[in-house]
Formats: sequence, C-alpha cells, structure tokens
Amino acid sequence: MALGAAGALAAVSACGGGGAQSGGTSAAGGSYSIGVPSWYIAHLTPGKAGFSGVADAIWTPLTQVDRGGKVVDAVAQSLRSTDQKHWTITLKSGWKFQNGEPVTAQSFADSWNAAAYAPNAMTNGYLFANIDGYAALNPTSGKPTTDKLSGVQVVGASTLKVTLVKPLSMFPYVLAGTAFAPMPKAAFKDLAAYDRLPIGNGPYQVASPGLAPGGQQITLKRFDGYPGAKGKAAQITVKTYQTDATAFTSFRSGAVDIATASGNDLSTASRMYSSQLVTSPTAAVVYLGFPLWDRRFADVRVREAFSLAVDRKAIVASLLQGHAQTAAGIAPNVIAGGGGTDCADCSYDPARARQLLAAAGGWKGSLTLWTKQDPDMQTVLEAIVNQLRSNLGISSLSMKVQPTDQIYPNLLAHKTTGPFLLYMGASYPNLYSQADQLFGSTSGTNVGGYKSGAFDSLMNRAAAATTSGAGLKLAQQATRTAMADLPLAPLYYPVSGAVHAKKLSGLQLGYLGDVDLSSVTVR
Amino acid sequence: MASYVLRRILLMIPVLLGTTFVIYAAVYALPGDPVQALAGPDHVVTPATAAAIKEHYHLGDPFLVQYWHYLTGLLHGDFGIDLANTPVSAIIAASWPVTVKLAVMTWIIEAVAGVGLGYLAALRAGRLPDLAVLGGSSLVLGVPYFITAYVAQIVLGVKLHWFPVSGTDDGWPLSYLVPALCLALLGVPEIARLTRASVLENLGADFVDTATAKGLSRSRVLVRHVLRTSLVPVVSMLGTNLGYLLSGTILIEGIFNLPGLGFQVFQSVQQHDGPTVVGISTLLVLVFLLVNLVVDLLYGVLDPRIRLD
Repeated sequence: MALGAAGALAAVSACGGGGAQSGGTSAAGGSYSIGVPSWYIAHLTPGKAGFSGVADAIWTPLTQVDRGGKVVDAVAQSLRSTDQKHWTITLKSGWKFQNGEPVTAQSFADSWNAAAYAPNAMTNGYLFANIDGYAALNPTSGKPTTDKLSGVQVVGASTLKVTLVKPLSMFPYVLAGTAFAPMPKAAFKDLAAYDRLPIGNGPYQVASPGLAPGGQQITLKRFDGYPGAKGKAAQITVKTYQTDATAFTSFRSGAVDIATASGNDLSTASRMYSSQLVTSPTAAVVYLGFPLWDRRFADVRVREAFSLAVDRKAIVASLLQGHAQTAAGIAPNVIAGGGGTDCADCSYDPARARQLLAAAGGWKGSLTLWTKQDPDMQTVLEAIVNQLRSNLGISSLSMKVQPTDQIYPNLLAHKTTGPFLLYMGASYPNLYSQADQLFGSTSGTNVGGYKSGAFDSLMNRAAAATTSGAGLKLAQQATRTAMADLPLAPLYYPVSGAVHAKKLSGLQLGYLGDVDLSSVTVR
Repeated sequence: MASYVLRRILLMIPVLLGTTFVIYAAVYALPGDPVQALAGPDHVVTPATAAAIKEHYHLGDPFLVQYWHYLTGLLHGDFGIDLANTPVSAIIAASWPVTVKLAVMTWIIEAVAGVGLGYLAALRAGRLPDLAVLGGSSLVLGVPYFITAYVAQIVLGVKLHWFPVSGTDDGWPLSYLVPALCLALLGVPEIARLTRASVLENLGADFVDTATAKGLSRSRVLVRHVLRTSLVPVVSMLGTNLGYLLSGTILIEGIFNLPGLGFQVFQSVQQHDGPTVVGISTLLVLVFLLVNLVVDLLYGVLDPRIRLD
C-alpha cells in the first residue's frame, strides 16, 4: 500500500497484453472510471502530489521509464554530463501545457524552486536535496535567504544546466519522478488553486472545477495537444475510496471500472475475475529490520538466526495466497539491477538458526516485534512471531502495531524495542535507489541505523560512474557488502493487482503496481 | 415557554465550549507527528519544511494558545483551515447534505419500524409476533452494525444488484437506502422494546378504562389514547439516539464511501487534521443539542399534562 515514494513509470507487466503504442492520433474514445486511494488526488501540485498513475496522466517530466525498466527521454531532448555532477539538459520543442503555454526550461526551474523552497512546505521537497543550493532553501533554523536553487540555471528557452551536490549517474532516473514535472506561469498566481485544478503537460488534463473542497472525484479529459503517445480513452473519472476493499466491492457491483485488488481481495479477484485481473510485482520489498542500536542484535549470528527461522515460502504460499515472491535480495528483477540473491541466510533452516543463536549466547528475556497498521503486514508478523517462537524457542514474544506516522518517528528516535516488519519501495526503478534508501548512512528511511564505510564508498563510486551499467554493477556490489552484514532480512516482494471491467482492454501496470491510465482502451 | 427555550439555548454555550475543548485536547493528544502524517510515511521532512508547516498551523505553540487561536476564530464564524489549506467551512458545506439525507432517512426508518414493531408486539403480547420482535431485536443488537453493513453490501449490492454499494452517484434515496437501513439497526430494537413496554403499561392505565367506558371504539382508544401517550418516552429516545446515529455515520459513511461529515471526520482523525475534526464535531454537538430541545418541546404536544417552564 505504501506507494507514496516513487517515480512514475511503466515497467514489466505480468499480463504482457499491451499492444504497440503508436504515436498517431486515435479516434477511439469512450470513458471509464477508476477507484483510487484519496491521497492520489489530495494534492495536485508536482511538489506535493503522491506519485501515482493519476499524476503520470497529468504531468510528463523530462524523462520516463519504459516498460523494460529503461529510462527514456520524454520532454528532454538530451541529458549530458561528463562528470555526473554538472548536467546539461536540452528540451524538445513543441511541448505545451494544457493551457497552451509552451513548456520551457524556465517552467522546470520554477517548479523545482517552488518545491524545494521550505516555506512552501511541499512534501516532495526533500527529493531536491541532490541539487546544489538545496541547503540554502532548507536551513536548519530560520528563514531561507533565497528562493532559488543555485544549482539550476536556465540557459535560453530550451536549455537547463543543473549542478548536483555530488555526482549521481542515476540522475536521469530521478528526473522521471512527478516532483520534477514542470509548472506553467499561471500556476504561480495562486498555488492553492493550482493544487486543486492543475495545468499539466501530460496526456490528460483535469477538467474544471478540479477537486472540490471535501470532494471525492476528479474528471480527466484527454489533452489532444499532447506530443507523446496520446491517451486511448477520451475521459476518465477518478473516484477516491477510503480503502482498497471498498473500491473492490464497488467494482464487483459495477460502480467503478478499475479497482486495485490487494490482500484477500486479490485472491477473490484471481478466482472470480481471472481474465480481468492484471498483476505485477512491485519495485518494493517487505523486510524484517533489526534495531542495530540494540545490543541484543549487535551479533550478526543473532540476525542470521532470525532470518533463517522465518519460513518465507509458507508465508507467501499460505498467508499471501501466492501473491508475492519470496525475496533473497532487496529488490525484485522488475527494476534495473534487482533480482539479486545476496542474502545467504534468506533460506529456511530452523536447525541452523537454533545453532547460531546458541553460539551467540542464546536469547534471554522477552521480545516485541513491530509493524505498521496494515492487514497484510499484521497477519505476516503474527506468522513470524509464531515461527520465531517454535524455531528459536523464544517464549515471551509479543507484537506491536502502529500507524505509519507513528512508527517511523519512533524508529528514528529508537523508541521501538525489537525487530520491525516494514515495506520499502524504490523511489526510482534502479537498485541504487533501493540500496541508498535502506542502507545509506544519510538516508531518512534507514531506520535500522546501518552504517558502513565500505558500502558508502561503493555507492559513491556507483553514483560517479560514467555509464549507468558500470554504476549498477557498483550498486550491486555495495548491496552485497551490506547484505553480508544482514542489517535486515528481506522476506518477500509484494505483487499488486488491478481488476478491470470487461469493456476495457490493454490495461498495464507500472513498476509501482499502479495503472497506466493512458494505456486503457474502452471497447 | 419562551423563557424555557432561552434558558436551554444559554445552557448550550458552556456545553459547546466544553466540547470543543475536550475534542481539541483529544486531537492534540493523538500519538504521532501531525507534520509527518501530513507529509506521508515515506517522505523525509526537513527541519525547515517542518518549521514552515508548524508555523502555518500554530502547531509549535502550547496547547492552550492553539486552542485560543481556534476559539477566537470560531467566535468570528471562522472554522479555520484544514491541513490541506481548505477552509473547514467549505468542507462542511460540501459534506452536510450527505449526512442530513442519511440521518433523516435513518430516523424515519427507526421511528416507523421501531414504533410499528413495538406497537404490534404489545398488542399481541406473549404471542408469536411479540416473541418474534423480542427475539429479532436481540439478534440485531447482538450483531455489530458494521458487520451487517458489509454483509448487506455484498448481498444486496454485489450479488443481487438491487442497490448501489457505495458513493452517492445514484442520488437520494437510492444511494442512501442500504446505509440508512444498516444505521437504523442501531436504534430500531431499542425503540421497539421501549414502545412495547410503554404501550403495555398504558393499556392497563385508568384513562384507557375511562375512554373505553365512554364508549369509544377500540381503534380510537388504541391510537388516540394509548399510542399517543406511549410515544412520550419513545420521542425522547429518538432524540438521544441521534447521538449514536451521528457517531455511527463515521463508520457507515466510510463503508459506503458517502462523502458526508462522518467520512470527513474519519479521514481527518487519520491525518491528525485537528481543525476539521473539531469543527465538524462541534457542529454535530450543536445539532444534537438543538434536536433534543425540539424533542423536549414536543413532549407538551404529545402529552397535554406536561408543561414546560
């Protein structure tokens, strides 16, 4: 469910059904409706919007990630850098916003400055931390003295020069995120109004009046001036639901044409709507993290024992009804560099687990395991508790469940008291992103507190690599280094699914498991 | 009468002050960080961004200062702005018609079904209809109404396609019928039992014997004398039931995806959106107090012996 942190991209789709995407105009029209969680449309400014299929329909950033997981130019004509730190970006001509204003280098600079400027309190702002000048816009105390990123220079209408804080060969992937989408001049007259009725440059435009206060839906209309692959359907109604379960029930009754199916509903969907279900592994991992600040987990043998005592196959087969893949690495193969089997202790071996724990001095006292409020996570953690009890002989085990907005601050403040079951999605489909988020010593989501000089230096070399292939190899090497220390035990890669009405075809899921709205055809 | 109404309205002021304070304190005491809740779990909030958010919403101030900011705004008719920068009054304006439609429909169902069943049970006391009503009401009281709601959604909506399962697309009354039925299940058993007890009591009262002795027809005695007098406690219960009903909308509107006040409260609690929770709750309390005043005034109409002063 935590699709919150990521880019905008179509990767491998399990159904493989999508036809050729011709760039020509399509006479096909029609309309359909889709059920989404409310955060998809709660904010409609690039700096605040959740990254989702809806955001991808409204905006097109400089780059996109294609279905093969490769980064391709969208609005960008070219991205060039000799040192991976200074980037020169040129724009294609002919791109227009939905109000007719041309998309220029300034449109990107304006949007990025607004997102990174702390007093605007845009929640995607942290993604600009790589760019030179971000610190000046986000001082640790007091008001910033400037509202422009010094690392973003507009050189003419179609050239942008970007200076990063340090080299990053994966920068083209970063640019594919919704946060890096452009905004027209008209947006800055009234940012609050723009947040409800945005003007984007994507294949669909939000129809007036946008999102009404307390409203529940928006209507998207195909933008016929879009220079890329145009949307197939003429109109899309985006309806929000409080839970995926409500959306799925609505789908079953015929009230909505596309709904996300997760948890139990995914099993129901594969039974009842097998021909209308599209599933795809998401670029995410569910893992059992260890509190490295806790003396009891300082010994790697204890962590190995915990990892070996968990029966991943049983969890996936019986609890998740097969809608997941067991993990032996931190990212599935749907993302570049993923699919590695770096975790030597991700198999199931209770006998060896007991040996290792005994060798490390055995377990004394009680233990609490933590997770966030989510039906799937809670069921899985219950199973883990039982497996640890019987396989490791830890008798006094309990679990604690907290909402996400509590567990993350508690983890970072070291107020939790045991291993934690969490979800981590890559912010762009590249192993580098996932490794950096989980193990980077400056990462805000490295909640276990892992710190390794060897890992950091390999990651720095990966970031500075001259080709993305060489960068990926180094990122894989860094991941292996980290996994040898086993700061966390990967468990499984979640699979997401969407069901669609019989009248629809061509539905594709992006690498986050989100529906690519423009690929859907109404029969 | 007028002075009675005035006194009741004046009494509402301390009640409203107390309620806003308690609710505000409850939202303030919610565990978790509102800034993080606003940003989303996977987002990193830089100190400068957090400071900007906190300053905008006075989140850094001590509790009493925050409450004072809110209260002074409220006295100027300003419900404040929510964490998404929308005026809470605009959210209320957009959501209240949904909740009113749902509540009125629920109330009608509760009154008609509850009184009807209770009256029937009393007249057939000890026989099959009575036992059916008593047994049925135990059964209904035993099953939580949100379970009934999920079952009704699957059976009536998904399997039979008789009713829409969620949203307000089909308008009033169709979209509201199943949610209102499920919500009415909270009140119907109690009202039916109360009506039954009250009717049974009055059937043996002296004034009924008098009326019968005067030669009034049986139906006239039952409706004009017995039922009317029996309704006094029932009406007061309908008034207090409104409280359960309004809190029930929080779950029911969530299950049926109706964008009413309850739905907004549910969402706002999750997002630590204090202004919206307090604003809507205050409004609900006000409605509750006003409706109960009207109910009290109705006593006099139903039973001429009751004088309000």
